Amino acid sequence: MELYLPIAEITINPSIFLILGMSVGILSGMFGVGGGFLMTPLLVLLGIPPAVAVASEANHIVGSSLSGTIGHLKRKAVDIKLGNLLLTGGIIGSFLGIGIFNSLIKIGLVDLLITFTYFLFLTGVGSFMLYESLDSLGYLKKKKRKKTYHHSWIMGLPFRMRFKKSGLYISIIPPLLVGFIVGILASIMGVGGGFIMIPAMIYIIRMPTSVVIGTSLYQIIFVTAIVTLLHAFHNQTVDIILALILLLGGAIGAQIGVKLSGKLEGPYLRVALGVLVLSVGIVMASDLLIKPEETITLIRGGGSH
Amino acid sequence: MIKDYLKLFLLILVITAQAPLDLVIDTNERDVEIQPGISGTKIVLFGAIPSGKRDIIIEVVGPPKNQAMQEKRRYFGFWLGRGKSYYKNVPSYYNLLSSKPLDEITTQEGLNKLGLGIERLPLGKADIKYSTTKQFKFDQRLRSEMFKNGLFIEKEENIILRSGPGKVGLFKTEFSLPPNSLQGKYFVRYFLFQNGDAISYAEGIIDLKQAGFARLIWIFANKFALLYGIIAIILSGLLGWVVSLIFSRYKLT
Repeated sequence: MELYLPIAEITINPSIFLILGMSVGILSGMFGVGGGFLMTPLLVLLGIPPAVAVASEANHIVGSSLSGTIGHLKRKAVDIKLGNLLLTGGIIGSFLGIGIFNSLIKIGLVDLLITFTYFLFLTGVGSFMLYESLDSLGYLKKKKRKKTYHHSWIMGLPFRMRFKKSGLYISIIPPLLVGFIVGILASIMGVGGGFIMIPAMIYIIRMPTSVVIGTSLYQIIFVTAIVTLLHAFHNQTVDIILALILLLGGAIGAQIGVKLSGKLEGPYLRVALGVLVLSVGIVMASDLLIKPEETITLIRGGGSH
Repeated sequence: MIKDYLKLFLLILVITAQAPLDLVIDTNERDVEIQPGISGTKIVLFGAIPSGKRDIIIEVVGPPKNQAMQEKRRYFGFWLGRGKSYYKNVPSYYNLLSSKPLDEITTQEGLNKLGLGIERLPLGKADIKYSTTKQFKFDQRLRSEMFKNGLFIEKEENIILRSGPGKVGLFKTEFSLPPNSLQGKYFVRYFLFQNGDAISYAEGIIDLKQAGFARLIWIFANKFALLYGIIAIILSGLLGWVVSLIFSRYKLT
């Protein structure tokens, strides 16, 4: 079976994309990541023009993260109050990020920036999570255990608020700031930013792992909705057909993922996510380090807009 | 098919009544609607030529498209895509058809003069600020990528020549436009050769229109961008919601 994508302007086999959507959906529901950091490179690999891949992927995540959030809401694992705070910072950040993105397009540095941010954050975040989770599981023999380490200056910040679901009484400044920074990065990289947000929620805001996933998914819905709208309006690169095919698989996958996440313990979940993020980072790095077969290549979908 | 031959027969009747005989052409369709999802649109080109030792070359040039190329260069040990160049008005499709191997029809010089073949196809304006050698490299890479993607085609001996009634020769050829072909005007140029010289020329136009749902979506996305974005979000959210509803209904989570 073949299907023609109106915006990507290519003919595809929908079943491949359905399976792809489903696999990434499982990861999404399990880890609370939108999955954009995985999906976007895979879509490009399958021949979708990068600009269309980024925009349609954002559109796809809107639905899959909504599906995942509903699943987590039923398990009472979403801190909406804290989620809204992160979201507020995130929205301001993403507008600033798009501003940076557009000015970089003008001086032709955007590809360089995207590749480097991906590479740095994937390998950085991935190895940190892996190290930390293995450490907390006691696999690493360390002389000094920093188990009771706290960010004292974070604790001392003003404007404290109580977050019942997370069992926290903290200043509103760190969540706002985390949201803001993730918002900037997310819009530059064209992803929901879950894989940066989750470690920040765990290690900086110190939210319990059980609430982190649902809360992350909750705010991703809104961030990706804004990104979709901006791409649709400015670049006309949202392929609705592609997004819906991915979603059909993705929404089902997300539900399965939610079910699986309830069965895995926090540190093990973090080991798995750490390995996943790190391996995507390594694949990207190898792409940067290995000499390409042909140095001059055609940019698919490029220059047509 | 029967209709095609009937048309051709009538065409021949008209031609044979006329003198002197020249190149007469027709295609099976002038306005072609391309349906998304199918494996391509078949185009049949046929016509009549004076019989004798003659050869024909047909060139099909699709509507122009802007194309970007980039060169990966090594920076501090990393291979990064810099050095982008934009080509304006690159033919989105090119197909060269001939009744015999090209070198048996005419000389290199003859092909150069008429600009026939992928190697001689003008690629439009490029904003490359490099040296001539680099420009040549970029041009060659663009040609080979288009060839690899099946958008630049050069197959020899795919025009069938037959002798018709009287002093008329018939030619017929068919090819498929890929399903993701750009819509617009496809110029079909017919060159009639005799003893290595082009003795006659004719031109036809095929107007390709993308039909159906995919085309509507494209128009909607480009003309009503904001509304399209909003609908895309709503549809995506709705589908996500419905799926989660189905899952909870059947207690799957």
